[in-house]
Amino acid sequence: MNLIVCLKPVPEPGTVKVDPETHTLKRASSELIINPPDRFALEMAVELKERYGGKVTALMMGPPNAVPLLKEAYALGADELVLLSDRAFAGSDTLATSYALAKAIQKLSPFDLVLMGKASIDGETAQVGPETGAWLGIPSITQVKTLVRGENDAWVARRIFEDFEEEVEFSPPAVITVEPETNDPRPPSLKRLLAVRNLEPQVLSARQVDCDPTKTGLSGSPTQVLDVFTPTYEGKREVLSGEPEEVVEKLVSILRERGLI
Amino acid sequence: MGGFWIYGEWGENGFHPVVYELISVARRLAPKLAEKVTVVVLGTDDLREAARELFRYGVEKVLLFIHPELSYFRDDLYAEILAAAIKERDPSVFLFGATAEGQALAPRVAGLLGLGLTAHCIAFEVDDEARLIQIRPSFGENVMAKIVSKTRPQMATVRPGVFPKAEPQASGEGEPEEIRLSEVPKSVLRRRAVYPVPRKESPLSEAKVVVAGGRGLLTKENFEKLHELAKLLSGAVGATRPVCHLGWISEEHMIGVSGETVAPRLYIGFGISGALQHTVGMEGSEVVVAVNTDPEATLMQRADIAVVGDATRILPLLIRRIREIKEGRDGAS
Ligand SMILES: Cc1cc2nc3c(=O)[nH]c(=O)nc-3n(C[C@H](O)[C@H](O)[C@H](O)COP(=O)(O)OP(=O)(O)OC[C@H]3O[C@@H](n4cnc5c(N)ncnc54)[C@H](O)[C@@H]3O)c2cc1C
Ligand SMILES: Cc1cc2nc3c(=O)[nH]c(=O)nc-3n(C[C@H](O)[C@H](O)[C@H](O)COP(=O)(O)OP(=O)(O)OC[C@H]3O[C@@H](n4cnc5c(N)ncnc54)[C@H](O)[C@@H]3O)c2cc1C
Repeated sequence: MNLIVCLKPVPEPGTVKVDPETHTLKRASSELIINPPDRFALEMAVELKERYGGKVTALMMGPPNAVPLLKEAYALGADELVLLSDRAFAGSDTLATSYALAKAIQKLSPFDLVLMGKASIDGETAQVGPETGAWLGIPSITQVKTLVRGENDAWVARRIFEDFEEEVEFSPPAVITVEPETNDPRPPSLKRLLAVRNLEPQVLSARQVDCDPTKTGLSGSPTQVLDVFTPTYEGKREVLSGEPEEVVEKLVSILRERGLI
Repeated sequence: MGGFWIYGEWGENGFHPVVYELISVARRLAPKLAEKVTVVVLGTDDLREAARELFRYGVEKVLLFIHPELSYFRDDLYAEILAAAIKERDPSVFLFGATAEGQALAPRVAGLLGLGLTAHCIAFEVDDEARLIQIRPSFGENVMAKIVSKTRPQMATVRPGVFPKAEPQASGEGEPEEIRLSEVPKSVLRRRAVYPVPRKESPLSEAKVVVAGGRGLLTKENFEKLHELAKLLSGAVGATRPVCHLGWISEEHMIGVSGETVAPRLYIGFGISGALQHTVGMEGSEVVVAVNTDPEATLMQRADIAVVGDATRILPLLIRRIREIKEGRDGAS
């Protein structure tokens, strides 16, 4: 069985600041980590491999300095490492990101399942999974807790909706997004940590996966961020200050006037 | 043909509450774009009555796609049908609730048609060029982003609980346009079973008055006085994340991105700074009162009534004063 896990490199939380002049997000340090929710997708893939056989390919779209994260994925149980990296991908929104991932996944065909995290901790849209399924023309199943192979070629996923869970049967290939905290990601294996030292990820460019240049990066992204801002409020607000007894009296009379108490 | 479309998600108990929130958004914005408020529903004949009811909420058009195969949500099938409908009818906007179903469906439609999609919006504006400005929070960074879409329809998912629900009106009737599909694409997904997960009922989300406390209350003992105030005002107690983690109150009382969304008539925040992660959960409050020693705190800027002072002193005084009033009223006779 061929399993592909998509891992997003994200900045370590707390290292990003808004540039007050340009309104863009500034990375104070380039410390990247594997998007934490994706660890549950990787663990699910590794458990499936252990149960049913096959291999796990970790696929990451990101800058060259994301290589150590893929090596970490190896230590966590991935077998093959692929870095999709190209300046042409800079500024991709979810549509352009899912397009590039879908093109890379096609290159890695044949595959049975693509596993992703539910959402990233930076963009946090939860859109890349279903969009990738659409590009590939295969079903997408979101917020999956468990995945087992049933009879014949059918698989059964248990997924989460708001006030119910559904058991849904499907035939691969499919894109699965994995609900966080539904398994227990293993610690890195020492043996694999040693082995990965002599291993380099395969690096693929936009051209190598046959990306249409008009569909990648900033120019291929239909959403456009006009402004990033910290909300400020200016309103017709009333400021009450003074001795506590005084302000309580004023507050109570305003609330009574407005019929709020 | 155009239209300001919203996705009519439904379940066991009729339309999802977020649909009424989307209707109120659409009713405010659609006129600015000269578009009709349109709800798009996929289902079976069973939905005809419920679909007709939507007109009472100020909806101008209902598109009801009917086929036996549409009896429950299936990502691939539903997305194909919506994509075909978009191609045929060319709406200018399409909004979805950011529910589990909406978040599975909207990006799938966007992917099929190569459309931009903005996630979890909490505010919208229409600019001079009739573009829909979509505003969404970025919680990791405590900032907001203004996003526009270069493709049509302009698509977005909307965070549930943020916008007021449309109210039924005295008048308002209409007939849904029924589209009886003769065939639908084959779905790869087959539902085998559903397991109800009881929604944890939070009195918070329905409360008309919310009294919330943050770290500025300094001790658990001070914080617990909020229960008394809540009782006097027939309201509920809310909290920021840090105080839940300090063990002053259980996490069910947390307001914000990791907790509940509230939209009371009156929200009073004691010793709360007003981080975006918190305020996104109380943005819909009608009147906001903040009590803080720091007049520059974000919640003080956001408040309708900003009370500068020590919350640990103001809270007990406020309780005493309100009790006097209530008792005076009740005990006067
Ligand atoms: C503040 C902010 C707001 C944004 N808002 C929007 C918006 O509303 N709409 C929009 O289209 N774009 C938006 N973006 C851009 C978007 O975040 C990026 O395009 C990003 O590349 C993918 O989206 P995501 O992080 O939301 O991924 P999600 O959809 O949340 O990620 C789900 C899963 O997809 C996989 N995945 C995602 N990216 C990669 C990758 N690079 N490599 C491997 N696997 C990956 C992972 O398994 C991940 O867990 C926003 C960005 C920022 C900073
Ligand atoms: C991913 C993520 C998710 C999060 N989710 C949530 C969430 O869902 N909900 C949430 O609430 N937070 C959430 N947070 C935390 C959030 O960022 C803030 O840290 C938090 O809301 C601040 O809580 P606070 O206002 O109680 O404390 P502080 O920010 O410490 O504010 C205390 C305030 O009290 C004032 N003060 C001090 N002494 C007094 C006094 N004697 N009288 C009056 N005022 C006084 C201070 O001036 C200050 O403004 C999240 C954070 C992250 C990173």
